[in-house]
Amino acid sequence: MSRFFTTGSDSESESSLSGEELAPKPVGGNYGKQPLLLSEDEEDTKRVVRSAKDKRFEELTNLIRTIRNAMKIRDVTKCLEEFELLGKAFGKAKSIVDKEGVPRFYIRILADLEDYLNELWEDKEGKKKMNKNNAKALSTLRQKIRKYNRDYEAQITSYKQNPEQSADEDAEKNEEDSEGSSSSDEDEDGLSATSFLKKKSEAPSGESRKFLKKMEDEDEDSEDSDDDEDWGSDSTSSDSDSEEEDGKYTVLASKFLKKESTTEKKAAEKKREDKAKKKHEPRKSKRLDEEEEDNEGGEWERVRGGAPLVKEKPKMFAKGTEITHAIVVKKLNEILQARGKKGTDRAAQIELLQLLVQITAENNLGEGVIVKIKFNIIASLYDYNPNLATYMKPEMWQKCLDCINELMDILFANPNIFVGENILEESENLSNFEQPLRVRGCILTLVERMDEEFTKIMQNTDPHSQEYVEHLKDEARVCAIIERVQRYLQEKGTTEEICRIYLRRVLHTYYKFDYKAHQRQLAPPEGSSKSEQDQAENEGEDSAVLMERLCKYIYAKDRTDRIRTCAILCHIYHHALHSRWYQARDLMLMSHLQDNIQHADPPVQILYNRTMVQLGICAFRQGLTKDAHNALLDIQSSGRAKELLGQGLLLRSLQERNQEQEKVERRRQVPFHLHINLELLECVYLVSAMLLEIPYMAAHESDARRRMISKQFHHQLRVGERQPLLGPPESMREHVVAASKAMKMGDWKTCHSFIINEKMNGKVWDLFPEANKVRTMLVRKIQEESLRTYLFTYSSVYDSISMETLSDMFQLDLPTVHSIISKMIISEELMASLDQPTQTVVMHRTEPTAQQNLALQLAEKLGSLVENNERVFDHKQGTYGGYFRDQKDGYRKNEGGYMRRGGYRQQQSQTSY
Amino acid sequence: MASRKEGAGSGSTSSTSATGAASGKGKGKGSSGDSAVKQVQIDGLVVLKIIKHYQEEGQGNEVVQGVLLGLVVEDRLEITNCFPFPQHTEDDADFDEVQYQMEMMRSLRHVNIDHLHVGWYQSTYYGSFVTRALLDSQFSYQHAIEESVVLIYDPIKTAQGSLSLKAYRLTPKLMEVCKEKDFSPEALKKANITFEHMFEEVPIIIKNSHLINVLMWELEKKSAVADKHELLSLASSNHLGKSLQLLMDRVDEMSQDIVKYNTYMRNTSKQQQQKHQYQQRRQQENLQRQSRGEPPLPEEDMSKLFKPPQPPARMDSLLIAGQINTYCQNIKEFTAQNLGKLFMAQALQEYNN
Repeated sequence: MSRFFTTGSDSESESSLSGEELAPKPVGGNYGKQPLLLSEDEEDTKRVVRSAKDKRFEELTNLIRTIRNAMKIRDVTKCLEEFELLGKAFGKAKSIVDKEGVPRFYIRILADLEDYLNELWEDKEGKKKMNKNNAKALSTLRQKIRKYNRDYEAQITSYKQNPEQSADEDAEKNEEDSEGSSSSDEDEDGLSATSFLKKKSEAPSGESRKFLKKMEDEDEDSEDSDDDEDWGSDSTSSDSDSEEEDGKYTVLASKFLKKESTTEKKAAEKKREDKAKKKHEPRKSKRLDEEEEDNEGGEWERVRGGAPLVKEKPKMFAKGTEITHAIVVKKLNEILQARGKKGTDRAAQIELLQLLVQITAENNLGEGVIVKIKFNIIASLYDYNPNLATYMKPEMWQKCLDCINELMDILFANPNIFVGENILEESENLSNFEQPLRVRGCILTLVERMDEEFTKIMQNTDPHSQEYVEHLKDEARVCAIIERVQRYLQEKGTTEEICRIYLRRVLHTYYKFDYKAHQRQLAPPEGSSKSEQDQAENEGEDSAVLMERLCKYIYAKDRTDRIRTCAILCHIYHHALHSRWYQARDLMLMSHLQDNIQHADPPVQILYNRTMVQLGICAFRQGLTKDAHNALLDIQSSGRAKELLGQGLLLRSLQERNQEQEKVERRRQVPFHLHINLELLECVYLVSAMLLEIPYMAAHESDARRRMISKQFHHQLRVGERQPLLGPPESMREHVVAASKAMKMGDWKTCHSFIINEKMNGKVWDLFPEANKVRTMLVRKIQEESLRTYLFTYSSVYDSISMETLSDMFQLDLPTVHSIISKMIISEELMASLDQPTQTVVMHRTEPTAQQNLALQLAEKLGSLVENNERVFDHKQGTYGGYFRDQKDGYRKNEGGYMRRGGYRQQQSQTSY
Repeated sequence: MASRKEGAGSGSTSSTSATGAASGKGKGKGSSGDSAVKQVQIDGLVVLKIIKHYQEEGQGNEVVQGVLLGLVVEDRLEITNCFPFPQHTEDDADFDEVQYQMEMMRSLRHVNIDHLHVGWYQSTYYGSFVTRALLDSQFSYQHAIEESVVLIYDPIKTAQGSLSLKAYRLTPKLMEVCKEKDFSPEALKKANITFEHMFEEVPIIIKNSHLINVLMWELEKKSAVADKHELLSLASSNHLGKSLQLLMDRVDEMSQDIVKYNTYMRNTSKQQQQKHQYQQRRQQENLQRQSRGEPPLPEEDMSKLFKPPQPPARMDSLLIAGQINTYCQNIKEFTAQNLGKLFMAQALQEYNN
């Protein structure tokens, strides 16, 4: 390419080249440069100098220049001063102005200044940073200029409409301006938008000066690219230029005056030339490519981004070159060296590598080289997206899958190839077929990366689209690959590698419900009628067995804590998912994960949360409401279940975190197909809370020290109470609340109908694999807890109650009723005794009455009041604290005995109140 | 007691015992103050008007209020008339109460009724009237009109058969404190004020003109209305429960208040310590500097460095204590009466058997 730009320095030509690909930027508002570049053609005609006019005008231009300088360094105060001077000077020049008409540059500065001020005014941030003087000056100046400009409105608008025309006259002024200012540019800090604009306007002037020197032999591609690209690099040169020329500024001005015409002519000429050239552009670049290809591949990897894509495949090697291992490897290294460099077309690179594979295959160079190149292809595929946060394109990923598959094929086919990341480049053996081939590279990392990319793709696909389903189908392929790699590594890998790949496998297994195993469990063991097809289906390993095997290996062999933790959690999750509650619970308890999970990294914590939730749901299915409630309490009570499970971000905290954090959090999200249904989760939690809380509430109705078991449940109840009008329940929560109310009255049938009905089935219960079992369990639970609630609430009404009646009322069989009541009596919840011969419960009526309860509470409160009071007293006494504390303890002990709930003792203590 | 001679209440024959309850409490305390008013004499009309006002407008724990009109005669405050404040609703927020009162008094003067403002009345719910609001308005009344009293009417007790009407004034001590507007612990300590000395009760005499008395006797003979025996009702649980509940709430508040106070105390002492330490450090450093011949560090304003914590206003706790006191009195009174009734009932039962 240097052939074309013989004089341009390397960097320059490159930047101008890359400028081609940039779309011409919209030139809104920066009139600064346009007049220079577009309007020079008509320059000569107006270059007549009149002395009187000149004098005044020079004064004006000087002022304007200072104003521009001030504008650049955002010194509004200065601007204001100068603007006032300018107004005066303009008044002096009135006679000339009357003759000549208002000079264009004057209008120009007015318009520019106004725009500049408006811009500053809009820039709230900048305004805040401005010091007081400046801010004050800004507002005054803004008002002044508005007022002033009103007189020149017509001219200004006409100038704004076509700045080129009006700029012609002061083109050189502009140049001078920029020159004068460029030195001040250096101490300019914080490039605001305006200063950018200014800078741009200045840049072309530098450019044009450069033209002076280079004009003769330099071809520029297009103006736009010049503007956008060059000013960055050129401004430095112009800066230095101006620095030396600053002193002899006046001389320079005259020099310019002389030279200008020629320069500008040339610029115009050049422009025309450019236009013509632009048309040739595509052709040229093509030619360029061809030429490069001929270049014996010396620089062939320098494919430029914007250039029209090379359609013909580049030839790798010169014809007739004997292709040997050494050459191929050299080539490969060449290609790889371009990797990561700026301006390297990654797509093309991949293509090249693939071509290289073909060539290698054609030339039978052996599998070793192919494996090596394949490794690199996959790596390049991963490199394709430079940003780690974004996800791979699914197509690229597919390609990657294929590639890995091929690689695995080769590796399986050639057991004599050794692959490892610790094999050094030097010790690689690609060619010597006698010895085992050794290739550097790690299949495991590739697979892990592939898996991660898969997760990313899933994260970034809309879970409700068909696309997601399509992507999800690839999951099977991922699993297959992981399995293959696993098999491969089992033979060759180290234990550490095996652990890692096992974990991958586990991560792809743990969340899937094993329907086959489930079916098998349900089916009668003899099952003689099994068709052959069934048998074939059943041949696959039970996921439970698989999990067991993989996890046990990891438990035994893993040395990094993280993999083991993950494996345990997955194992528990899997157990819980398949309703093996006791195994899951024991594993959880044995691992002691609950104690130290807060030290783990967020993804593991998310996994832990998921496991706990699954554990809770499992407990619920088994009818262990208390365990279910405990397991779910942490997740549900925070109200951030969604966030804790990594199933979505909360909007609430959006303001609290910045963009970076949000990105990180987004990356942690669990893909949709792993999600746990949040409504199911909440329903399970609320129902188990209801089963616990309602009887508890009934038992401790008037106990001051009653603790809420579940805050969230109470919250829901309160929400339900606040409703002014109670319609039939709609949402899951309303159903639970309505059911709770029914249960409070001991009305189990209503409760049952609220919990289990069409709506709730659809929303929640049918989501369980064994929905019917869960439902029967639930009904029974409701009956039992309703019975308990009934007894708590209404025991004071009864003298005695027959168990048969109870069993009829709650449709429970007699032994169950008996056992429930016995339990209540034993745990001193119900003051009653059973009369065996008549099968009745005889109430003892020892529960304190309402007043007694109140009095008890009062006593308790007074106790704490006294205690608090004594603390104040302690404080006053200071040193005697010890004595009083002893006393207080004694006092509290007494209190404790008398305050304790239950039985007979209390009654005596308060009747005398 | 003086009140015995005059009938009041709803004009029924049970008036004797009713007034007894109303004025019985006034003994002793009223004489303690050296205040201008030693006795309150209320017209039967005023009592009836207050009762009527509550029955018409107040329900539940809503409170009705009104203005008392009358005259001061020697050390006796005679209340001869009253009128209610209109009930506030939210839509007439621009309603001017003062304006209304002035209007009302002017109108009353036109018809030649006593129009001098001598206080105000308020109904109460289970005796919960010792509040900040009452304190503030009574203070402003007493500040403006030295003799003014507040009449507290307890409708619930009245419904149980004994008219309950009490007149209260702020003690001079409390007036002093309120004037200072300083409720810090120190100020209250200095004023030596406790919850017992916040309000003073003024004995009440209900007086009717002789003509009315004659009419009453007349009516009593003729009336065929059966006697109502609310007084003998044995049911106690509801009232007692409510009272306990309220008492408990106040105790809770008291507890919180004490905790707050305790924290304050702790904070002050902690700060005191810090201050002390700081001073010591400063001193040491200055000594060192002196030995090195350097000028000592300049004195700094201690109060700026250590801002004393905001002392909690103790007035609230005083009020709460006062309120608790009233509740206890009420409950005591109530239970005493009830026990009496129970014994009576028992005796009756035994007699019948």
